[in-house]
Amino acid sequence: MKLFLKSDLPHQIQHIKNGGISIRRRFIFYIISAIVLVLSLILLLLNLFGIMNPASAQVMGVLDTQLLSFADKIERDYDKAAAHAISFSDQLETEIQNYLTENNLDFADLKNDAAALSALQGALYDIIYLNMQLAPSSGTFYILNTTVNSRSEVPLYNGIYLRYINLYSESTVNHDIALYRGSFSTAKEGNITFHSGWSNEMRTDFFDVCESSFADGKHYILSSTVQIPGTWERARYVYVPIRDQRDDIIGVCGFEINDMFFQLSKKTNDDTLGQLIGALVDEKQGVFSCQFNSGHYNAIDAGKIQITEKNGNTVFDFSTEACIGKTKSVRLGEDMFTIALLLPEAQFNAMVQNGQIKTVGIIFAVMLIMFAYCLFMSRKYVAPILRKIEQIKDSENDSEQLNIREFDDLFDYIETKSSVMEEQLQSLKAAKQAAEEEAARARESYQKALEEYELARNEILHLSEESKTEIVLEDYEYFLCNLKTLTPREMRIYELYAEGKTTAEISAIIGIKENTMKYHNKNIYSKLGVSSRKQFLRLAALKQIQDKKETLNP
Amino acid sequence: MKKTLAFLLTLTLLMTVLSGCSHQQMPSPADPVTLNIWHVYGSQTISPLNTLIDEFNRSVGREHGITINVVSVTSSSAIDEALSASANNEPGAEAMPDLFTAYPRVAEIVGKENLLPWDDYFSENELSAFHAEFLTEGYFGNQLLMLPVAKSAEAFFLNQTLFDRFCADTGITSDALASFDGVFQTARTYYDWSDGQSFLQINDFYHYAYLGMKAYGVELVRGGTLQLDEEAFQSVWNPLAEAAIYGGICLDEGYAAARWKTAEVIANTGSTADVLYQPSEIIYPDNTTEAIEAAAYPYPTFTDEESGVIYRGGGLFAMKSNDERRNQAAVIFAKWLTEKEHNLAFVTNAGYLPVTDQAFDALFSDLNQIEKENYRSVYAAVETMLDSYTFYALPLYDGASEAQLDFEANVKAVLKSARNQYVKRIGNGEDPETVMEVLIAASLTELRSLSGK
Repeated sequence: MKLFLKSDLPHQIQHIKNGGISIRRRFIFYIISAIVLVLSLILLLLNLFGIMNPASAQVMGVLDTQLLSFADKIERDYDKAAAHAISFSDQLETEIQNYLTENNLDFADLKNDAAALSALQGALYDIIYLNMQLAPSSGTFYILNTTVNSRSEVPLYNGIYLRYINLYSESTVNHDIALYRGSFSTAKEGNITFHSGWSNEMRTDFFDVCESSFADGKHYILSSTVQIPGTWERARYVYVPIRDQRDDIIGVCGFEINDMFFQLSKKTNDDTLGQLIGALVDEKQGVFSCQFNSGHYNAIDAGKIQITEKNGNTVFDFSTEACIGKTKSVRLGEDMFTIALLLPEAQFNAMVQNGQIKTVGIIFAVMLIMFAYCLFMSRKYVAPILRKIEQIKDSENDSEQLNIREFDDLFDYIETKSSVMEEQLQSLKAAKQAAEEEAARARESYQKALEEYELARNEILHLSEESKTEIVLEDYEYFLCNLKTLTPREMRIYELYAEGKTTAEISAIIGIKENTMKYHNKNIYSKLGVSSRKQFLRLAALKQIQDKKETLNP
Repeated sequence: MKKTLAFLLTLTLLMTVLSGCSHQQMPSPADPVTLNIWHVYGSQTISPLNTLIDEFNRSVGREHGITINVVSVTSSSAIDEALSASANNEPGAEAMPDLFTAYPRVAEIVGKENLLPWDDYFSENELSAFHAEFLTEGYFGNQLLMLPVAKSAEAFFLNQTLFDRFCADTGITSDALASFDGVFQTARTYYDWSDGQSFLQINDFYHYAYLGMKAYGVELVRGGTLQLDEEAFQSVWNPLAEAAIYGGICLDEGYAAARWKTAEVIANTGSTADVLYQPSEIIYPDNTTEAIEAAAYPYPTFTDEESGVIYRGGGLFAMKSNDERRNQAAVIFAKWLTEKEHNLAFVTNAGYLPVTDQAFDALFSDLNQIEKENYRSVYAAVETMLDSYTFYALPLYDGASEAQLDFEANVKAVLKSARNQYVKRIGNGEDPETVMEVLIAASLTELRSLSGK
């Protein structure tokens, strides 16, 4: 942490600018880069496969999928109900015709004939009861365009309408039934309980039944939702026409799908979204008619519902609350319906918010883990390397092993190389020292020689000064002329004398005995025409001066 | 370094844990709860409880993210059956509801351990607001599993319109309806007057026998067995049998309210909640209708010394959930439902009695606050009974439910058989009084015999 929290950032930056990025920083940078890269790739892939979408898109995606399944179920259920209704109608048509034939009656003769209509109900009861057991519905009915009392102010229609009582599951097998519409004798003979809202004939104000409904050849009709009179319940009806032998419509038959049955049979649960609200909606002249699979929404007055589109989603505004979801248009019977799958808006918003928080949380957690991982890696791998380098710098032997083969090999190699170089360094140091000593000695000798030279020079200068006055030119010329007569050895001796060496030194240098030296001296003196050692040295010095001058001024 | 690492890991762990613990202990609009309810208030008719539930969903429910979803409105026996099917996971059975109204007997079916103890969620102060006797019924051991939300008493209901017409012809007055002797006499007279129509349907013969025996100071049930050999039972049985065999009492299955519609009967004993189902008109076979007025009277008495009436009604049960939000949601709803204002709105539209003392007092302080006349008549009858009747709860014992159902079926079967024999033998020219005497005695013997099996 301190690495990143240090306040001397400008200094660090300057340091980096100067090319000094530490191995630790470089390592962390590379690891973070690698993780970010991998993370980005994963996110990209997840996004490509639609897994990593925004929460709202995820919710809508689930709704889309569930909607297809829900719509499919509704279509199949209503198709099934319609198929049952058509079969039901066929059976009724046959039985009604049989009854009329057996009793030598025409359909019109049934009007105001309570006994005949009751008898007809008795004849049809088994058919309606059987179809009620077979069809997925909450009630079954047939109504005929005839009545026991045509004088009634309200148009009445005769028939039987059975409803399940005590509906508490989708499975209606063996459920008790009640006579909602039908004659008193039908109930008595069938030993059927009267429904609380029983009446012996039907008014058509609770569902849209008339000959014109089928005028355009519709196979079946799925009605809008209507209040079932005398109850708290609402229902839709799936119904088909009943025709006589002349193909005239004499009534309708079908099934009731009340809200409760819709709710029980059209459940929509999703593990991720909880209880979804499914709806079957139709619109007639701007007024919506809805059936929900939730009692709560069924209780809301459909007239207060506003349905709008928002950002590609459908919003059901119930004035006190709103739901959001997806819709699909389907044809049920001959009419278009909308099937919707919804979530309460508050829940939807909360899900989206939770999703966002989770995403941010995950990213933050990943970053934290990444950071911790970098620190861990730095501590585990970089720190020992740095330590090792320090140890190598300090030339510590037997330093720790990193347990990283490549690094250990490297440091072993460096250590071996370092030892060899150390030895070379030591020998070089010794050589250097010897050279320095030699140099010192040389400098000393040089100094000494210089001093001697100065002495000799001074002496020569002195002699030369003297010779200016004492040396005889003829002697010097003779000296010069005969100098070339000297033998090489004599010349060598002459030169050594001229350099200022003593007789003993010259003997030692040349490697001759003193007597031999004396012999050579005698010959040299004789050839050069000198009579004394003093004269000899003066003339030699004079020649040296002359030689130097010639050298400087050729 | 170690500290930094530990800090980061702890932070990460904490975040992970916290993100996984988004569910709270209370429901909220962001994390809503839907509770399914099965109840008995308003099957096949309007449902005052549904109206109230809708109000709850739109107000407090919306505020707390709670939706009460009515999945079934049915009879208590159907709920028993459905709960049993769900509890036993029978094919086609629905999942257990989160809330249901039922009688105490259902606790055995569902399993007491699966039910939410309301007393864990209601303070002592809140519980003390309930009518003590109503609350007592809900305790199973030391746990309050059934919360009273509405109770009913029994009463005598009369189609006043037709009865007045009958009285005008026969000189009988409604005073005759104060005792069962008078009721049975009226029933026989009505049968004659109406050319063979039954006057009365007794909604529950078990209740009739229980109160009759009580009036004679004898318990119908002792040691879990019906005491039909008691002389008191004969005193209760004979007048009933006479009226039934004569034809004045309807012995068929089904609700009395439905028979009011066809004028098959014009009176019945039953729960005050029957007012919810009372029709406002008679429908004749030719589809003509006649508007009627209904009235309620106190439950008829057996003797001058003792007047008793059964009060009944189940209560609200909640399934205990591992998700505490669901438990809290059930409690929030139950508390809201039993608040004075809501409880009164519910019960007075369904013919029930409120369950808190405060609501009880508020109701009976001024009956004129009740708009509908037939409802006002019911509460007036209850008020009369509150003054001079003893209110009894049915005894609970092992097999009580079956014993009650068996007794009911046996009474109807025995009396139906006797009635058929009576009609047949009278038709054969036998002396009606002699035949009646024989059949009354025979019916008692047969009933005792059936009950002994």
